[in-house]
Parts: sequence; structure tokens; C-alpha cells
Amino acid sequence: MSLLEVRGLVVGYGPHPVLHEVEFDVEEGEVCVLLGLNGAGKSTTVNTIAGLLRPQSGEVRLDGRSLGRRSPSARVKQGISLCPEGRRVFPRLTVRQNLRLGAWSQRRSPRAVREQQDLVLDYFPRLVERADQLAGTLSGGEQQMLAVGRALMSRPRLLLIDEASLGLSPALATTVWEVTSRIRDGGTTVLMVEQNAGALPFADRALLMEKGTVLHTAVGEQIRNVNLREAYLGA
Amino acid sequence: MSGLGQEVGVAIVTGLLQGCVYALVALGIVLVFRASGVFNFAQAEFGTTGLFAAYAALTLWGWSYSWAIAFGLAVAVAMGLLTERLVVHPLRNASRVTVLVGTAGVALAAIGIQFWQFNETLIMTMPRIVDSFFLVPVIGAPVTVQQLITLGVLVVASLVLALFFRSPAGLTIQAAQQEPTAAELVGISVRRVSMLTWAMAALLGGLAGILSGPNLTFTAGFLSFGAGRALLPGFMAAVLAGMRSMPGAVAGGLTVGVVEQMGTLSFMIEVPGARAMLLFGFLLVVLMVKPHGIFVPRTAVAA
Repeated sequence: MSLLEVRGLVVGYGPHPVLHEVEFDVEEGEVCVLLGLNGAGKSTTVNTIAGLLRPQSGEVRLDGRSLGRRSPSARVKQGISLCPEGRRVFPRLTVRQNLRLGAWSQRRSPRAVREQQDLVLDYFPRLVERADQLAGTLSGGEQQMLAVGRALMSRPRLLLIDEASLGLSPALATTVWEVTSRIRDGGTTVLMVEQNAGALPFADRALLMEKGTVLHTAVGEQIRNVNLREAYLGA
Repeated sequence: MSGLGQEVGVAIVTGLLQGCVYALVALGIVLVFRASGVFNFAQAEFGTTGLFAAYAALTLWGWSYSWAIAFGLAVAVAMGLLTERLVVHPLRNASRVTVLVGTAGVALAAIGIQFWQFNETLIMTMPRIVDSFFLVPVIGAPVTVQQLITLGVLVVASLVLALFFRSPAGLTIQAAQQEPTAAELVGISVRRVSMLTWAMAALLGGLAGILSGPNLTFTAGFLSFGAGRALLPGFMAAVLAGMRSMPGAVAGGLTVGVVEQMGTLSFMIEVPGARAMLLFGFLLVVLMVKPHGIFVPRTAVAA
């Protein structure tokens, strides 16, 4: 049984669905990249998994159990955490306060929260220097690190990252992608949405998405042979 | 001391004490505005409604003073929560002006209910918690123990709010306002935060009403437009605080109280409407010089 199973997902903002029966699995302990063009439905997919959007039909299962119509906060408690598109850090709170709120669902176990914060700061040492700065004053790359770090503070089993590389320099994007391997090795499965094929070398599984469906899945060695032309231009 | 010097001294003391009531109202206004961007016209009526409830419990039903206060505050909080449930939440996607009109509606409805429930005793008086007063040495300003209690409550309320906003629970209010989606994603219930904010604001309003009511006779709409009007001064105090700063709201309330009392000086007393004129003139000048308010922290983060 896979950690995450997405089955027949149909999601739309109006009468016309954006996702047409999206299906895929993510195994525990892997970094999975959901790759596709703008408008392919990647964000819609992860927003639905996180509970921000309600599917018209289909379902999302964690450990084989359907998440139904559970709220985002209920899903955080079950171990699904989303780092949303556009970072959305709390701009007028400090870096430390942002991280602390990331662990809001875990507030009853302060020791675990402290340990998790140490781990996150170990992943992103830059945040240590910025700890008491307002998040809104950070650079784009630092805000992205903070957003990923905040999402990690709830000690998720599955971390969803929506377009971490957007607006970052290639070097910074690579820094963020590299950390996903460490996050995986720390026991958190990662599903990241990307338009940038530069993320593929960091993936254990790649899903190519186009026009609201998953066209192609590649695992391990197959990823190197993924036909990007197919992903970006259609087969 | 005598003459103008003494008059000014008395006006300052009286103004500061009256300003405590304005500060309590302003704190509620700033709290709600920061959390939801709503200019809450019902803030003062939370106070009058709480006052009427406390009055009924104390004088009509013969409860003890402390239970009457508790009941008045509970009614105020219930009204705050009802406002959130029936007006603010259903209008969450409407423009803020619409919500503002909604809160004005709540205030008018509350005044209507007060008239309807208490129409046999149109003008009410309520005993003070402690009915005594003294003269401040040298200045000679009369101060009631009730006013001192109000000052004490303001100090405690400010400290509690300052501590609360530094606590994790207090941070959720700021987080929900700054990035509601991200707040939901870390497991903060934005709805619950909204209810908490309105309950706290209503509690502050209730305190203002129950503490200031016994100083005067009161009628329906007491704290909004009646003898104890604190809505406009409270708004002015909040504006001086840039609608953001909690310490600013307190400083603003005290300032507004003092400026207003200057209208009672003997050479002003002949001028009709001197108090209101002074207040509006002061606000106008402040907003021309410092349009974002004067009691605003450098970073907006300070609670």
C-alpha cells in the first residue's frame, strides 16, 4: 500500500473541471516531482490533497484511508503539510514566530517542537541568522526556505511543496531541491510541484502532468529517460 | 494653586480618567480592525448592552455586584459572538464597507432592544462599585474610586493583551489576518480566531460600559451617543494609533480624554460645542501632520 493514493480526482472551480480523473501513487520514503506546464493542474492537485479544494469526485487516501472532506487543519494533524505557492509566510511576524506557528498542530508536545525546530534550522542554516527578523524583510530565497521550514514544523509524513523554485535563481532553487533529499532521509515523504525540469535529478519518482491528467510516471532510472518534449509539448 | 493653572490640572486629571474609558473602547476597535479589517460601529454598544444587563441583575433582580458584573460581561461577550456569527462571518467575502454598515446595524438593533426592554425606566442610575471620592492633593481634582478602578482595569487589560499577543495563541490572530490560507494550512482555525477576537473586543467594550455607567445616568445607546459617548472618542484614539497599535490605542484614549477636557476650561465654557470642536480640530491637525497616526510603533509587529 502506498502512503498516498490519488484516485479518479475531478476538481474544478466552475462547471468545467480542471482535473480530469487524476490518478497516481506516492510511496513512503521517496521524493516525488509532479512536473508540468502552467495550467496543467499541478497546484489544483496538491491543494486538493491538502484539503483547500473539494473534489467533485474521486478521492485522496493516506495509508489506504480516504481523507473524505476533511479540513486542511485536520489533514495537518494526520500528517499532510502543504508549503503553498507564493510562499505565504506571515510577513509581519519574525522567522522564529513563523516556525513556531508552523508547529501549531503540535503545540501540546513542546519538546518535539523544539527538536523539530533544531532539525529545520539544520536544513536551512540561513534561517538561524535571520531568526529575529520579520519574515517580510527576507529575500525571496530565504522566504522560500522559511515556507518549507514552516510546513515541516508540523512533523508531516507527507510534505507537499508547490513551486519552490518560482522566482528563485537556479543556484537557490538547487539549494532548496537538495534539501528535499535530506528531508526524505529524515523520514518525511516529499511531493513537489515543479515547472522546472531542473528538479528531476532530485526525484525518486516523476509524474508528468498535462491538461489536468497525469500522462506519464517514471521511477528511478527511468527518470533520466523522461521525454521532456512529451511533458512540455504533448505527445 | 489657583486660577488657570489649577483648572488645567483638574482638566488633565479628569481627562486622563475619562480617557481610560476611551482607551478600553479603542483597544476593542483596534483588536477587531487588526484581525479582520472591520471598522466596528457596534463596539460601544457591546458596552451599553453589558451595562444594561449588569444594571438589570443588580437593581432589578437583586444580584450581588460581582455577579452582576460577571453577567454583564457575559452578555457583552455573547453579543460579540452573535455579531461574528450573524453579521461578520456571513459577510466575510463582502467588501469591508458592507461589514461596517452591518456593525452599525448591530449597534442600532442593540439600542432598539435596550429601549424595548427598559422602556418603563427610561433613565437609569446604577450605584458605583465603591461610592466614595477624594481630592487629588495640590491640584484639587475630584477623583472617584470608581474612576481609579477603571484605571486599574485598563492597566491590567493592557498588560494581559500585551502578554497575550506575544503568546502562541496571540500570534495566531496576527497570522490569520496576515495570511489566512497559510494559517489554515498550519492548522489554525481562522474561524475560531475570528470568534476569539470578537469575544475579546466585546469583553473590552463590556468593561468600558459597566465601569463608566455608574458615573452618570444612562439611557439606551449610552456609550454610543448618550451621556457616556465613547464611540467617537474611541475611534479617534484608534485612529491616533494608526488602527494598529495596542499601546497606541491606550495612549490615544488618554490623549483624547485630556484634549476633550480642555473644552471645559472657564474661558472655553462659553463656546458652544467647545469639547467636540477641540476633539475634531485636534484629530484634523494630527492627521494632516501625521496621516498614519502618532502612536504607531516603527514596526507594525508590536502588540
